[in-house]
Amino acid sequence: MRFLLRRLAHAVFLLFAVSILTYLFASLVPGDYFDEMRLNPQIAPQTVVALRAQYRLDRPLPLRYVRWLDSVVHGDLGYSFSYNSPVAPLLLVRARNTLVLTLTAALLAWGLALPLGVRSAEHVGGLPDALVSWMTAGLLVVPDVVLALGLLLFAARSGWFPTGGLVSIDFDSLSLARKLLDLALHIMLPVSVLVLTALPLLVRHVRSAMIGVLEAPFLQAARGHGIPRRRLLYRYALPAAANPLISLFGFSVGTLLSGSLLVEVVMSWPGLGPLLVEAILSRDLYVVIGGVLLSTLFLVIGNLIADLLLYWADPRTRVESPAK
Amino acid sequence: MTKRRKLVKWLVVLGALHGVVACAGFLSPYDPTEQDRERPYAPPVRLHFRDTQRRFHIRPFLYPLRVREGSFAQFDEDTARVTPVRFFVDGSSYRLLGLVPCRLHLFGAFPARICLLGTDGYGRDQLSRILYGGQVSLAAGLLGAGTTLLFGLGIGTAAGYYGGWRDDVLMRLAELFMALPWLYLLLGLRAFLPLSVRPTQPFLLIVIVIGLVGWARPARLIRSVVLSFKERDFVRAARGFGASDGYILIRHILPETSSVLLTQAAILVPQYILAEMALSFLGLGVPEPLASWGNLLANLRQYSVLMSYWWMYLPAVAIVPFFIGYLGLASALQEWADPSRWA
Amino acid sequence: MNSGPVVPAINEVSFSIAPGITLALVGESGSGKTTLALCLACFERPTSGRIWFGGRDIAALKEKQLRVVRPQIQLVFQDPASSLNPRLTAHEIVTEPLLLQRNWQERQMRERGFALLERVGLSMEVASRRARELSGGQRQRLVIARALSLEPKLLILDEALSALDCSTQAQIANLLVELQTSSALTFLFITHDLAMAAHLADEIAVMNRGQIVEQGAPERLLASPQHDATRSLIAAMPRAIVRPHVFGAC
Repeated sequence: MRFLLRRLAHAVFLLFAVSILTYLFASLVPGDYFDEMRLNPQIAPQTVVALRAQYRLDRPLPLRYVRWLDSVVHGDLGYSFSYNSPVAPLLLVRARNTLVLTLTAALLAWGLALPLGVRSAEHVGGLPDALVSWMTAGLLVVPDVVLALGLLLFAARSGWFPTGGLVSIDFDSLSLARKLLDLALHIMLPVSVLVLTALPLLVRHVRSAMIGVLEAPFLQAARGHGIPRRRLLYRYALPAAANPLISLFGFSVGTLLSGSLLVEVVMSWPGLGPLLVEAILSRDLYVVIGGVLLSTLFLVIGNLIADLLLYWADPRTRVESPAK
Repeated sequence: MTKRRKLVKWLVVLGALHGVVACAGFLSPYDPTEQDRERPYAPPVRLHFRDTQRRFHIRPFLYPLRVREGSFAQFDEDTARVTPVRFFVDGSSYRLLGLVPCRLHLFGAFPARICLLGTDGYGRDQLSRILYGGQVSLAAGLLGAGTTLLFGLGIGTAAGYYGGWRDDVLMRLAELFMALPWLYLLLGLRAFLPLSVRPTQPFLLIVIVIGLVGWARPARLIRSVVLSFKERDFVRAARGFGASDGYILIRHILPETSSVLLTQAAILVPQYILAEMALSFLGLGVPEPLASWGNLLANLRQYSVLMSYWWMYLPAVAIVPFFIGYLGLASALQEWADPSRWA
Repeated sequence: MNSGPVVPAINEVSFSIAPGITLALVGESGSGKTTLALCLACFERPTSGRIWFGGRDIAALKEKQLRVVRPQIQLVFQDPASSLNPRLTAHEIVTEPLLLQRNWQERQMRERGFALLERVGLSMEVASRRARELSGGQRQRLVIARALSLEPKLLILDEALSALDCSTQAQIANLLVELQTSSALTFLFITHDLAMAAHLADEIAVMNRGQIVEQGAPERLLASPQHDATRSLIAAMPRAIVRPHVFGAC
């Protein structure tokens, strides 16, 4: 229990620190959203000043931070200059899309990596192992940008898949079944890119963890008892190998988030990625801060879940360590 | 193959690849900024050995491309003009390795334009742009990795050697940096800098930004090396002989970090090349007219380009051999430095 | 020389070593021997007590003043492998102290390095080999050579022979005897092996749980031990030893 509380406190501290850092950096940037306006001779300088005051950009920094923090706690993440609307709902919609993409990719990636890794570990050196290792080697050398663009090219030329977006234009008029199909078609390519780029590392780690476990005496004993193969692998061996894999899961959340940003931009998936890029280009301060914070939040939550899983899976974390 | 041989093999491969890019001036037929507005989005030229009269030519030749009447970016071969490809031709001037002014190019086909990989919207030869772009992207990767390692070395050594509160603060900072997804961190850092900078500056800026993203992990690795060697008997003995901290660090401890530095370098460089590509692709990196693999790929963001001009995808392929090389090098280095590890 | 350091967290210890003598400090592991050695060599400070060396209490000296004293007391660690940087060559290792003294010219240093190696019985070709390529015996010789480079008056050897195989032990032991006669060195020889101590030392002090429980000439100690600790040490000796002065443990 103490372990979990410590991790939670740690996560909160991290979020806090990141928020300060981001806010600090963002505010130290020379110039702001209204720079373009200022350069425009048709707009009177007083107007700019008034606008700035309206958005409270003329107050001292710590004061702004505290105000902002206060509003964040109340669910208000500031105002977007470009979209002329509050940041929070904007981010949430996009975040939902990103989560749909990332979670699907994560599930699929692990869903594939586990059986592949287990199979390879079972027959080390055999044909399935060799095939899998070639596949992972091949996938490792293809960076995600290359893969994403390649698949996009394929989609454009073949016409089999849509080249962007969440759903088609006529989504609302489709039947439920068609709606699902439409969504599936749209999500398939971005998810494939994410899965294919994540797969090599996952498979390799599952494989090496399983190899370590399969040689353990307790497993030989279980095999001697005549326990069927599948049960043996998944109910006995895999949980024993869980520890490093759970840590890997925590780590892979970060890479998946970064990967999804790029994939979203390339494949026009309406998630946090394109929003963030746009906000950076237009100096939309609060959207940038909100976006970075939200992504960090996801990462921190992902790691917390990993810690939770570790706590549940590995009894050693539950034992109170003796005083130093 | 022995570990050393493997290492050498990969080094040679990478060296050759980098060499090709370094000789961009010689290997590319044109200056990368040279435009040809009459031939935008021209497809890759085809080389022929047999002409329309079915005569065989030993020297490959091409037919210059001519715009089809009333169309945009639709070309026909002008079969009336057989233009042979010549080797070691005189062309636009460049500086070999940035130093020696030169005019010699490997091949050319004056007066036609030999664009083996097609052209972009301004008619610029893609092969030349890919080669020169490679210089930029590779330089970004190498310099970025250098920055990170320098940073990581300094911080890791300080944390490990001096310990105490310095160690705590630095490692907390490292954790912070590792808590952010790297691309978000990269974009965040990039965002907090002026958006429009003159051509020479953004490159350095980008290198530094990229370099600042990944210092945390190397710093931790170096810190653990320093920690493990700090208390060794031979370090103690040296201190007993009157050695200063600086001497001990330079003479005894830092040489031990070399294997970590090398392995990390091999891992970081390709990641940083990608980082540059990502930044430039998004429009936040190397600006036009300077070419980099990232901003070459940015063309594909336009749907029309994606649909109709497949050769604009080729810069993406260019990075793959480098990736293979660096990954091979990284695994060879890991084996060489620590033979007990399963690579 | 007198020494009366108090070993931390352990009881008072008081003994003295006359110049040119070899004193062996014998005791089981955990009796505080190594801590004592570290204190004497100025690597650690005793919490209380005094160490008299050359007429001064070195336990009370500041770091700057200690710098003058340090070269005169040298410590040879137990494990030659860890006290040598495996990447450096023998010559580099043996000249490192000279380098750090900064009073030496390049050529003088080089020559002195070779001379030191020769003195401990290492040939010229060993000089350019790296420490990791040397055998255990060669390494120990190298450590001794390095310790001798600053011409110390007192050499503390902490289990210096324990990590070596039998024949090498004999060789190094002979080297030490020879060095003492030729250079008038004083040795503090710390070991758990009473037989070895009996062979090498002029005087033996038995240590048990942070205290010196018995002290005297080797023959006397072996013939009529007064303390239980001494008795158990004698009992631990291999049966082959009947007479002292015979190095027959192997």
